Amino acid sequence: MLMTGEQYIESLRKMNTRVYMFGEKIDNWVDHPIIRPSINCVAITYDLAQDPEYADLMTVKSNLTGETINRFGHLHQSTDDLKNKVKMQRLCGQKTAGCFQRCVGMDAFNAMFSTTYEIDQKYGTKYHDNFVNFLKMVQEKDLVVDGAMTDPKGDRGLAPSAQKDPDVFVHIKEYREDGIVVSGAKTHQTGSINSHWHIVMPTQAMREEDKDFAVAFALPTDAEGLYMVYGRQSCDTRKMEEGADIDLGNAKFGGQEALVVFDDVFIPNEYIFLKGEYDFAGMLVERFAGYHRQSYGGCKVGVGDVLIGAAALAAEYNGAQKASHIKDKLIEMTHLNETLYCCGIACSAEGQATAAGNYQIDLLLANVCKQNITRFPYEIVRLAEDIAGGLMVTMPSETDFKSDMKVGKNGETIGEICNKFFAGSPACTTEERQRIMRLIENMCLGASAVGYRTESMHGAGSPQAQRIMIQRQGNIEGKKALAKAIAGIK
Amino acid sequence: MKCGVKFCGGCNPRYQRGDAYRQIKDELDDIDFDYAQEDVPYDQLLVIGGCPACCASHEQYTAENEVIKMWDESHIESVKDELLKRNSNKGE
Repeated sequence: MLMTGEQYIESLRKMNTRVYMFGEKIDNWVDHPIIRPSINCVAITYDLAQDPEYADLMTVKSNLTGETINRFGHLHQSTDDLKNKVKMQRLCGQKTAGCFQRCVGMDAFNAMFSTTYEIDQKYGTKYHDNFVNFLKMVQEKDLVVDGAMTDPKGDRGLAPSAQKDPDVFVHIKEYREDGIVVSGAKTHQTGSINSHWHIVMPTQAMREEDKDFAVAFALPTDAEGLYMVYGRQSCDTRKMEEGADIDLGNAKFGGQEALVVFDDVFIPNEYIFLKGEYDFAGMLVERFAGYHRQSYGGCKVGVGDVLIGAAALAAEYNGAQKASHIKDKLIEMTHLNETLYCCGIACSAEGQATAAGNYQIDLLLANVCKQNITRFPYEIVRLAEDIAGGLMVTMPSETDFKSDMKVGKNGETIGEICNKFFAGSPACTTEERQRIMRLIENMCLGASAVGYRTESMHGAGSPQAQRIMIQRQGNIEGKKALAKAIAGIK
Repeated sequence: MKCGVKFCGGCNPRYQRGDAYRQIKDELDDIDFDYAQEDVPYDQLLVIGGCPACCASHEQYTAENEVIKMWDESHIESVKDELLKRNSNKGE
């Protein structure tokens, strides 16, 4: 059953998810003006799946049930599936200009499917069956699942088991016959609050002494003992202003991050996917990170498309669109953005089947993709700010533009003064110029910059994590052999 | 003539695919257009792509005639002509 966006939003209302923000419990978090744009972002992944113009990317036949499902719940069955994932993410980025949050679950599904298969092969456990049953339920109900990986980590110089406070890594606190009790937290969780379920994974490779920390499981977002503290974003309280619209830049869509706390949460056996098999923690992390590094070659490109369009409009509204340096900057932005897309497609095209049968990306190329993502959006933002001009951060508020307070000697109002001095090319109204400047502000340094800039840097792993993988996968010995052969060295 | 229509997924279309479809549909009232479904047999299948890759999947649908594909605004007229031709052939 494919849900509509509206049905998804209604389904959230039925959950007893515990959300805290600004020191208070938020009971109606679904309609909260700071939170709602991030819910709208996920809702679009449902609405696009219902639209014949987008269904070819947004939906797919499940290999588990044979039914048509949302691609966000799919196990990739080919390199075409991997490429279509990236294309779908570009589409969703274009439609929201923000983080639509549903990728982490999809990437967790694919990493968990292949890893649980291999754990069972070695240890005779039943994690793969547990996971497949869970995923069938997710596909049938068309649910959103958050993939939770990043632990707070405490002292980065110490292993999980050596930390003064064990809660800085999610761990098994109690072993019971019917399940486990877990404690700890996950940080920076994108799309956590508005997910129906969570899949929780370890954050790094583990050693034997850390086996209580080598744990993966699924749980409903409103499970007893689970709660979230909402993360702040730049300019977030603009959304609380009465009648806020233009000053938001992107009034409908946005991202969401939270601290997710596991306060002694019971996990029944059927939802456990890893319990102490510490030698597989690294494999799970590496696979999830690989898929998620591929994801950025789609989603950030879609957001980049919007920012390039906004910069081009700003140039037109400023009357500067014919200047050769403006044209060249737009070319450079496009070149950078499409290079990122090339990386996303390339690591997909070079994908291969896992032992479990689903497809995974080429890890070297996926890490190269994400390494570029840590850089190019920053340059695209720099060029957008260059083209837009200082007005994107110095313009008076929407309220000033609408103010009828008389301030001029001839009775001019604040609104008239603002409209007089901020008028640009006759190709646009002053309000249109305001809107495009605020959109650029929103994406470059406002609420959506969380997703487009800092998430590009640290999401799916910080730059050094990719460099370690590039070193491992880069085949330097093979390259040395090539050089020796050409140089005549035996 | 019954024509099933399939869009590509629209990851980065170079023109408004929906507008192109409406333009074709509105001018060819004799043809019965519908979004393609797997369990429905069609006389004709029209695939509307957004770029030259024209990557929409369509093997899952059944149509009597060879599929017609378009991936550019400039194809609208030739697609209309071809559909008209095939529609009149069907009537003969």
